[in-house]
Amino acid sequence: MAQQRVIIVGGGLAGLAGSVRLAEAGVHVDLFSLVPVKRSHSVCAQGGINACNDVARQQGYSEYEHFDETIYGGDFLADQHPVLEMANWAPKIIDLLDRMGVPFNRTSEGFRDLRLFGGSLFKRTHFAGATTGQQLIYALDEQARRYESEGKVTKYEYWEFLRPVIEEGRCVGIVAQDMRTMQIRAFRADAVVMATGGCGLVYGKSTNSIICTGAAAARCFKAGAWYGNPEMIQVHPTAIPGADKLRLMSESARGEGGRVWVPRKPGDSRDPKNIPDAERWYFLEEKYPAYGNIVPRDIATREIFDVCVNQGLGVGGENSVYLDLTHRDPEYLQRKLGGILEIYEKFVGVDPKRTPMKIFPAVHYSMGGLFTTFAKGRYNPTQPLPKHKSGSAAPLGAEVGLGMAMGEFANAQTNIPGLYAFGEVNFAYHGANRLGANALLSCIFDGLFCGVSVANYVRDGAPKARPHDQIPQGAFDREVEIEARRYKELAASASRSGDEKTNPYAIHRELGNEMTAACTVVKSESRLVQCLEKIAELRERFSRVAVSDAAAWTNQTLNYARAVGDMLIVAEAIAKGSIARKESRGAHYRTDYPTRDDANYMKTTLAKYDEGTDSVTVEFAPIDASLIAPTARTYGKTDKKDAKPVAAGV
Amino acid sequence: MLNFSPSEGSAAAAAARRASAKPGRTIRVSVKRCEGPGQDSRWETFSVKVDRGANVISVLQQIAANPVTVEGKRTTPVVWDSGCLEEVCGACTMVINGKVRQSCSCLMDEYAPGEGDEITLEPMTKFPVVRDLWVDRSRLFHNLARVKAWVPIDGTYYLGAGPREKPQQQEVRYKLSECMSCGCCLEACPQFNLEENPADWNTAFIGAHAISQARLFNEHETGKALRDERLEVLMGPGGVSDCGNAQNCVKVCPKHIPLTESIASVGRAVTLHGLTRWFKA
Amino acid sequence: MASQSFLDRHHFLLRRLHSLTGIVPIGVFLIAHLTTNSSLLWGKAGLRGTGDHYSFGKDGVTLLEGGVAYFQKEVTWINEQVPHLLLIELTLWLSIAFHAVLGVIYARTGRANTSRYEYQSNWRYRLQRLSGYLGILFIFYHVATLRWGWTFLVPGGTAWSHDFAASTLAAAIRGSETGFTAAGFAVALLYFLGVTLLVFHFANGLWTAAITWGLTISQRAQERWGYACFALGAGLMVMGWASLLGAVMIDPAKARAVEQSIQEGKVGESLAGQADR
Repeated sequence: MAQQRVIIVGGGLAGLAGSVRLAEAGVHVDLFSLVPVKRSHSVCAQGGINACNDVARQQGYSEYEHFDETIYGGDFLADQHPVLEMANWAPKIIDLLDRMGVPFNRTSEGFRDLRLFGGSLFKRTHFAGATTGQQLIYALDEQARRYESEGKVTKYEYWEFLRPVIEEGRCVGIVAQDMRTMQIRAFRADAVVMATGGCGLVYGKSTNSIICTGAAAARCFKAGAWYGNPEMIQVHPTAIPGADKLRLMSESARGEGGRVWVPRKPGDSRDPKNIPDAERWYFLEEKYPAYGNIVPRDIATREIFDVCVNQGLGVGGENSVYLDLTHRDPEYLQRKLGGILEIYEKFVGVDPKRTPMKIFPAVHYSMGGLFTTFAKGRYNPTQPLPKHKSGSAAPLGAEVGLGMAMGEFANAQTNIPGLYAFGEVNFAYHGANRLGANALLSCIFDGLFCGVSVANYVRDGAPKARPHDQIPQGAFDREVEIEARRYKELAASASRSGDEKTNPYAIHRELGNEMTAACTVVKSESRLVQCLEKIAELRERFSRVAVSDAAAWTNQTLNYARAVGDMLIVAEAIAKGSIARKESRGAHYRTDYPTRDDANYMKTTLAKYDEGTDSVTVEFAPIDASLIAPTARTYGKTDKKDAKPVAAGV
Repeated sequence: MLNFSPSEGSAAAAAARRASAKPGRTIRVSVKRCEGPGQDSRWETFSVKVDRGANVISVLQQIAANPVTVEGKRTTPVVWDSGCLEEVCGACTMVINGKVRQSCSCLMDEYAPGEGDEITLEPMTKFPVVRDLWVDRSRLFHNLARVKAWVPIDGTYYLGAGPREKPQQQEVRYKLSECMSCGCCLEACPQFNLEENPADWNTAFIGAHAISQARLFNEHETGKALRDERLEVLMGPGGVSDCGNAQNCVKVCPKHIPLTESIASVGRAVTLHGLTRWFKA
Repeated sequence: MASQSFLDRHHFLLRRLHSLTGIVPIGVFLIAHLTTNSSLLWGKAGLRGTGDHYSFGKDGVTLLEGGVAYFQKEVTWINEQVPHLLLIELTLWLSIAFHAVLGVIYARTGRANTSRYEYQSNWRYRLQRLSGYLGILFIFYHVATLRWGWTFLVPGGTAWSHDFAASTLAAAIRGSETGFTAAGFAVALLYFLGVTLLVFHFANGLWTAAITWGLTISQRAQERWGYACFALGAGLMVMGWASLLGAVMIDPAKARAVEQSIQEGKVGESLAGQADR
């Protein structure tokens, strides 16, 4: 019998964790990536990774509370069992990373140090300087390299995923293209794992890497995979505006005492250091005394947006507010935040240890993604418990298998058998809003926990009867043919003389501007409908797209144009999901429906691609909310006048 | 004056240049282009309007959207490698105005502050060109495997926490671990040269990058298990002894990793290892 | 890997021997050699006693006369008192040959890039290789002419004699027994360059050796050792230049007179030794 093979598309944290787990289980891994895996977007994560720990535990914290925070932070949209399992695994994952040599910051006694992060009153965030994501992915990259040198992992770097091969109702391989030689070919596999991250580039400029187009997910979507909660796009409250991208200023800047403020006087042009305290408005601290500057991201984002756009109090009349660390000891800042403060200084040319930073929100993370299933674990209360009281005893332990049943084929599997989704491209865990430092966790958790499900599936599932090498060649040739044709058509467009209307860069730029204006912080039906029209226009223009390079070797322009075409589908899903969800929840805020509507919309938005009409349809599917009953997500806000998220029945 | 320090050049001068830059000016961007491996290179110059905050990436993006040279000739968009655009992934490394660095953090306000100022972009020279500014840096990753740059853990099953570590030790390892394998240290190194044939990679100079990573894993309690194997590689052809101490590596390292300290530290380790090995058996 | 070359199989050992030979014996010899030679200038201060073989006494001598005398005493001592001199010389020559051959092989693995990376340390790297290449040519000329007696390479054809150390040296460098010739000027210039480059090569080599062997690890240690090597190099440079200055300033005829008188004194000294027996 042939060696079982799994294809993993994407070599970020989720893809690498999955690769390591599968290689260890004796399944051969073919790892595809647009970039050398060490350069994946996970490197950008700065702040840390959440997990219950011994110190917090003795203060009353628990895995259960981490679970509760994540559900509450996600505004009760996430399926709850998977989140429970993830929170329970978090401490184990930290220990594993620790063993892999991640240089977590240490206390004087040599234990792992912790920091405070948004959405919790306990220090439960582990970190390695200000480049935690980089450090974690390096640790996993190293382990993957180890397996690669043993022949258990084969890397296909600079290969672009083009489509899944679906035969006999399940995924049996992929079609991919070598970005250098432009060769298009099929690869067989017993299962395929998508670990392709988010879709920030749909918004033009975002905090995402240049590779985070969402095109890979779009290609699965067009092949029949469902997309969950596309409208749930997290806008990070603190980013550094830039010409090519919006660079993240980590939440840890607020966690380490950063204070957000604007001058009380509109358009105050004084040097910020010369503005006395009384003339500064620390609006987050004033409105949310309990959490202050560390309110969750969506709240901080909307407040900053409100202060700048609605109240016109942005610094110098522009769209930015101060994030101020100058009251902290520069040496302390250097030690704790050195890396991220250097980024600011490097790209803005100002030292944030001495001058308050100017920041503004930017698209950061996609809670939505490919829809996946899960197998419920052993913990099934007769009815959901009320919200956990912070610091009180947990109602249950943290044994493996309470949340999800380990090793079941269904975990992290899309609606297409054999096609899995790990990490950011998996819609699970974060609901309507992701808590800071939970992304790294969900990526690694998917790889380690759901990796076992993939291994079991290829051993005992459908591939057992018909392994990849018994699938007829015709199925692969057919799919290669489709992509070869698409490629040829695009290449042929180079002979047409294009204009602004058919320039892929122009189409992308207009898409980004439109999506940022209509589908981020504040949404409304009328604006969204307008946005859909714009997308339709862009799709029409894209059908006539003209690329400016006909080369048959390393044609980046062509790959880029093809991705722009796929981004348009994701954009349509985001816009249609945003229209369909007539409520406000988490990152999704509708001015025309400002309250949360649990009765109608505590459901997963399920976007499906209709091949006949070449468009997106949206429906709602029930969620698993059997563990915690929904409550209003207020984070102890005191400003009664403001009528923002108030849940039904509270 | 005599200089043994890891940095040269004035930050103040750079800041002054940035401050003097005029928004909305037009600059010239000359790019060394090459259609593919084995093909001749040519220069193309573009005229680009830049605003505050413009960097090489945004300039190349502008050129890509409208690839017309100063002579008015329509050409193809420039091919280059990039990723995070915030100098943590290492992808967009290239030779700018003759020196290697990341293009994302290369601000036009500093490099071309005046009207009509010119910058030159070239691919790295120590790695084979794929096309234009994109080079194939596989050798860099190969070298990580050469020194077994990993901690040989027993597997991913739960086995408790890793070894405790003093904060001072963590600080040393963290700094080394910030290396993003960009290859600046190799590009600037006079001892590290282009090797097209992968068969030569195991005997050609391994470079500061992998030496420093070997040190990183030798410093880890569990990583130490492979210490001797790493040192054996670093004692062999292309190992640490091939370093010529030009110390360019540490000066061009964008993460300010103490590469020359790593080289010296590994030098000490192989000295002791060589001696003990000689006297042992 | 049976096909590995000798160099590859013994890579580490050869690299370290290369480094070691540069210090011991070559570097140590260089220090001793320049100390001796520079006594042409400072020797007067080192003269001890006013024995009758110094017929002109200490106080009455000029600076150069004192230097010539002291230098001659040193040379005589080396040639007559140092045991196993030929063995020492052979070891030295072999070490230099070994260091030079490997040095050239190693230098050829690099490609200097000071035009792009004009850092001081990079210039030192480049100069280290340049000084190695030129230095070995100089050493060959120096040893061939003054030790092996290849007088056809000496303008004026002077053969160096250890009985007339300063005068023959001066004549060889000045290009004639009497005055300064154009060819002599070229030789002097060659010496200036050779000595300068070799002293740099040694001082800088000492600095890099400490990194190679892992003695100086921290940045601070490398800086401190850098200043120490600079100081040592500066000292040697002064001695080297002093030697050369002495050699070109000395009038061979006058020096010969001093040496003659020492020869006579020496005869007396050795007779006295016999009488004691």
